[in-house]
Amino acid sequence: MRRPVAPRQRGIEIEERRLGWLLVAPALVVIAGIALFPLVWTVWESIHLHDLRMPWRGRPFVGLENYVAIAGDRRFWASMGHTVFFTGTSITLELLLGLFLALAMNRSFRGRGLVRAAVLVPWAIPTVVAALLWRFLFDTEAGIANALLVGAGVLEEPIVWFIRAATAWVPVILADVWKTTPFVALLLLAGLQNIDESLYEAASVDGAGPWWQLRYVTLPLLKPAILVVLIFRTLDAFRVFDLIYVLTGGGPGTATEPIALYTFNVLLQNLQFGYGSALSVIVFLVTFGIAVLYIKGLRVDLTGARGR
Amino acid sequence: MLSRALAAILLLATCGVDPDDGRTVVTFPGSALGEEGRLLQRQIVRFMEENPDIRVDLQRTPDDATQRHQLYVQRLNARSHDPDILQLDVIWTPEFAAAGWLLPLDEAAVDTDEFFPATLEANRWWDGQLFAVPWFVDVGMLYWRTDLLPAAPATMDALTRGARAGMSDSVPRGIVWQGARYEGLVTTFLEYLGGFGGEIMTSDGRVVVDSPQAIRALTFMHAQIHNLGIAPEAVLTWHEEEARFAFQNGTAVMMRNWPYAYALLASDDSRVAGRFSVAPMPAAPGGHPTAALGGNQLAINARSDAPEAALRLIAFLTATDQMLERAELAGQFPTRHALYDDPRLAASLPMPADQARAIIEAATPRPVIPIWTELSEILQIELHRALVGQASPEVALGRAARAMTEVVDEAGIPELQERMRRRGVALR
Amino acid sequence: MSSRTRPLAVGALGLLVAAIAFPFYWAVVASLTPEATLFRAPSLWPREIIFDHYRALFDERAFWLPIRNSLIVAGLTTIFCVAVGSFAAYAIARLRFRGQSAILGFILAVTMFPQISIVSPLYLMLRALGLINTFPGLILPYMTFAMPLTVWLLVGFFRQLPRDLEEAAFMDGASRWQTFVRVMLPLATPGLATTGILTFIYCWNEFLFALSFTLGPERQTVPVAIALFRGQYQVPWGEILAAAVIATAPVAALVLAFQRRIVQGLTAGAVKG
Repeated sequence: MRRPVAPRQRGIEIEERRLGWLLVAPALVVIAGIALFPLVWTVWESIHLHDLRMPWRGRPFVGLENYVAIAGDRRFWASMGHTVFFTGTSITLELLLGLFLALAMNRSFRGRGLVRAAVLVPWAIPTVVAALLWRFLFDTEAGIANALLVGAGVLEEPIVWFIRAATAWVPVILADVWKTTPFVALLLLAGLQNIDESLYEAASVDGAGPWWQLRYVTLPLLKPAILVVLIFRTLDAFRVFDLIYVLTGGGPGTATEPIALYTFNVLLQNLQFGYGSALSVIVFLVTFGIAVLYIKGLRVDLTGARGR
Repeated sequence: MLSRALAAILLLATCGVDPDDGRTVVTFPGSALGEEGRLLQRQIVRFMEENPDIRVDLQRTPDDATQRHQLYVQRLNARSHDPDILQLDVIWTPEFAAAGWLLPLDEAAVDTDEFFPATLEANRWWDGQLFAVPWFVDVGMLYWRTDLLPAAPATMDALTRGARAGMSDSVPRGIVWQGARYEGLVTTFLEYLGGFGGEIMTSDGRVVVDSPQAIRALTFMHAQIHNLGIAPEAVLTWHEEEARFAFQNGTAVMMRNWPYAYALLASDDSRVAGRFSVAPMPAAPGGHPTAALGGNQLAINARSDAPEAALRLIAFLTATDQMLERAELAGQFPTRHALYDDPRLAASLPMPADQARAIIEAATPRPVIPIWTELSEILQIELHRALVGQASPEVALGRAARAMTEVVDEAGIPELQERMRRRGVALR
Repeated sequence: MSSRTRPLAVGALGLLVAAIAFPFYWAVVASLTPEATLFRAPSLWPREIIFDHYRALFDERAFWLPIRNSLIVAGLTTIFCVAVGSFAAYAIARLRFRGQSAILGFILAVTMFPQISIVSPLYLMLRALGLINTFPGLILPYMTFAMPLTVWLLVGFFRQLPRDLEEAAFMDGASRWQTFVRVMLPLATPGLATTGILTFIYCWNEFLFALSFTLGPERQTVPVAIALFRGQYQVPWGEILAAAVIATAPVAALVLAFQRRIVQGLTAGAVKG
C-alpha cells in the first residue's frame, strides 16, 4: 500500500531500492550461477525417458509419463509415507527438546559455555559416523541399548531392533533427534536472546507465572526463529538419506525407506535418470508446498514490511 | 581435410600424455586399503619399472560397492576420460557394457583359455564380446569348526544335525550367514537355491525364482532361524563382517562367507585360529553344492585416452606372478586355472588346490544381464520379507518372480540380443 | 522460576545433557578398545585401553590432511556466505523494494531439490569448468545449501534488531550503506556468530558432494576420508570412531570460541527500554 510521499522521501525510496538490489545481487548471482543449470537439467530429464543401461532406446521426450508412473508406484507412496512419518516425529521431538535446552541455556549459570559446546558435539559428528555409532548402540549383542534395557528389567531378552518395522524406527529417530536437536537449540537460543528482558519483568510485576510468560511472551516472539527452524529441519528431514542408509538400509524389506533412498536407488543403482529426476521434482514440489504452508500458517512476516 | 587430420593427430598426441615427462598416464582407482593396498602399490611400481613409458596414477575410491558404483556411474555418464581402468564387481560388467561405457577387449590380447570359463562368461555381453578381465574370484564357502564337528556337512540334513550337535552354552549359534537386505543375501540364497536344485533364471531368460526348489530353499533358511533355532535372528541384520566376528569369537559352529575371512580367522586376534576349516556348501538330494560367484574384474573405460597402456597394465596385474602374490599376501583366489596345479599356490590356499578348483569351476554366477541390480533389489526385498516373517516363502517368491519378469519383459533384452546377433553389430 | 520447579528443571536438564553426551562418551571408549573386544558383550567402562586406532589414523592414514581440507572448505564457504548473505539479508529485512519475498523464496527453493539428483549435472558443470578435485570445486556447490541457510537466518536476526540506532544514524545524515556497515553489522554480531557456527558445521558434515567432486587425499574432506576407511567388507570401527572423536575437536573449539561472542555482542550493543 503506497502512502503519498514527499519529494525527499521519493529520492530516499529510489536510493533504497537501488541499494536493495545491489545488496542482494551477489547472493542471487552466486546461487543462480551454480544452481540454475542443475535444476533445469533435472526438470528436463524428468520429461524424458532415459535409462542409462539401455542407450539404444535413446532419450525420447515422454511429457508427463514419468509423473503418471510415479502416481501409480506403490513403493513411491510407501516411501512418502515413511518420510512424512519420520519428518513429523523427528521435528516434533526436536522442537520440544530444543526449546527446553534453549530455555535452559538462556539462563546464566556456571559452566554454561561448556554445556553449550557439549550440546553441539552430536551435530559436529559426520552423519555417516553418527549413524554407524547408533547402529552399534542398538546392535543385538554388542549394543548398549539392549544391555541397559535388559539390565533394567524392561526387556526379558535382547531384541533384534532392525528386523521389525516398529522397532527399526526407534534408533533411526533417536539418532536424528540426537544429532539435530543442537541445531534447533542454538537457533532458538539466539531467538530467545533477542527478547527484551523488560517484558518478562513487566509480566512478573503483573503477577504472571512462568508458564503464562512462556506462552504469551516467549513463544509469540520466538515465532520467526521457530519458522526458520521448521523450514530448514523439514527440508533436511524430508531429504534424509545417509542416516537411514547406514542404519537400516531401508529395511526390513522397505519398511523404513525414505523417498531420498528410493530416488538414490532409481538414479544410481538402476540408472533410470528420467524416472529418478521426476521423483526429485516431486520432492521439490512437496517441500516447497510445506514451506509455503508454514509461512502462511505461522503468519510470520518475513520481510519486516509490515513493521513500518 | 588436412586440417582435420592435423587436429586429430594433435589431439591424439596430447590426450593421455603427461605434459611433465611425456609418459602415458593411466589412472586406476584400485583398492588402496591395508595389505591389499600395499601389495597393489608394489605391483604398480614394478610395472612402471618394466614399462618406463607409462605412469600409473592410483586413485583412492571407496571400497564399499555401492559408493564405488555410484562414483563410476557419475563419471562415466559425464563422458569422463578417466579413470582409464575400472575395477568392477562381477555383476556390473553387463550393466556398464550395455551402457556403452566399456571398451570391448580383443580376446587375442587376453589369453582367454587361461581363465576359468565361468569367470569369463560373467564378463561377456553383446553377443559374447568380452568386456573385462577377471582379476580375482570370490566364492561362497562353508567355514566349520574342526573341534566341534567330525567332518563338514555334505547334505542339508547333516548341516542341521551338525549345527545342533555343535551348539552349546559357549557356542550358542549353529550357523551364521549374511541375511541383511543387500546383495549378500542374494548370494547366500543362491547357494541354498542351487543346493536344492533351483536357479534364478533359465538360459532362455525366464525367471524361475518361484519354483518348488526355490521355495524349499527359502523355507529351509527361514526354518534355520525360526523353527530349528540353529541360526540367530540377528543374522537378518548381518553383513559379512558381523558373521565373521561371530565365528571368530567362537560363538558359531559354522559360517557361510567369502575367502577373505580365512586370513583374519587364522590370525592372532582370532579365538578359533587352528580350529576351523572350509568346505563347499552342502546340497540336498536333487541339488548340487553351489558357490555364488563373486570377485573383481578389470575393464577399460570406453573413452580412455590410453587404452593400449591400460591393457598392458591389466595384462600385468592379471599375470601369473602377480596373481600368486595376491593369493599369498591377500588370500584372493586367482582366476587362472593352470595355477591350481602350481605348488606355489597350494601353499597359500586355505584348502587343497583341487578342492578350490572344483568349487570355482562349479561356481554359479548371478544372471548376466544389465538390469541385474534392479532384479536383485526386488529379490532382496522379498527374500528379506519372507525371512523376517512378513510373508510366507511361497507368497514372497511368487511376488518376486512376477515383478522380476515384468522388469525383464519391459527391458526387452533377449529380443534385442537376437536382433543384434542377426545384424552382426556391436553397440558402442 | 519458582523454587519448586527449579530442581526439577535442573534435573531434567542434567538428564538431557547426559543423554546427549552418552553416545559420544561411548564412541570415545570404543575408539580406545581393540576391535575384537567390541563385538563381545558391551560394557560401560573400557575393559582395556589401546591407542592403536589413534596412532593408525596419523601413521597410516595421514588424517591431518582431510581435517585441513575440511577446515579450508567449510571455513571459506562460511566466510563467503555469511558476508554475501548478510548483504542480502539486510536488504531484505530493512530496505524496501519490490520482489523481496520472491527473492527469499527463490533462494530457498534452490535447496529443495534432493542432493542426489543435482549431483550429476553439478558434476558435468564442474568438469566443464575444470574444477573437479579443487577447493573452489567444493565451495561452489556448498553454496547451494549454505547460502540459503545464511540468508534466511540473517534475515531473522536483522529483523529483530531495534530500529532506534539505525534511525538515529540516518537522521545524522549517514547513507544507507554507512548505516549498514557502521551500525547494523556490529549490532548483528551475535547473529553473525550463530549463523557462522551453524553454516560451518553444515559444511563440515557434508558428504555426497565431497565424495563426488574430489579425487584424492589432497582435497578429500573428513567425511569422505572416513568413508574410505571401509574395505569391501571390513568396517574398521575403532579407527572410524577415533577419527570422529578427533574430527569433533576443531569444531568444538570453534564453538567454544564463538559462543562467547554471542553473549558478549548482545549485552554490549542491546538497546533496552
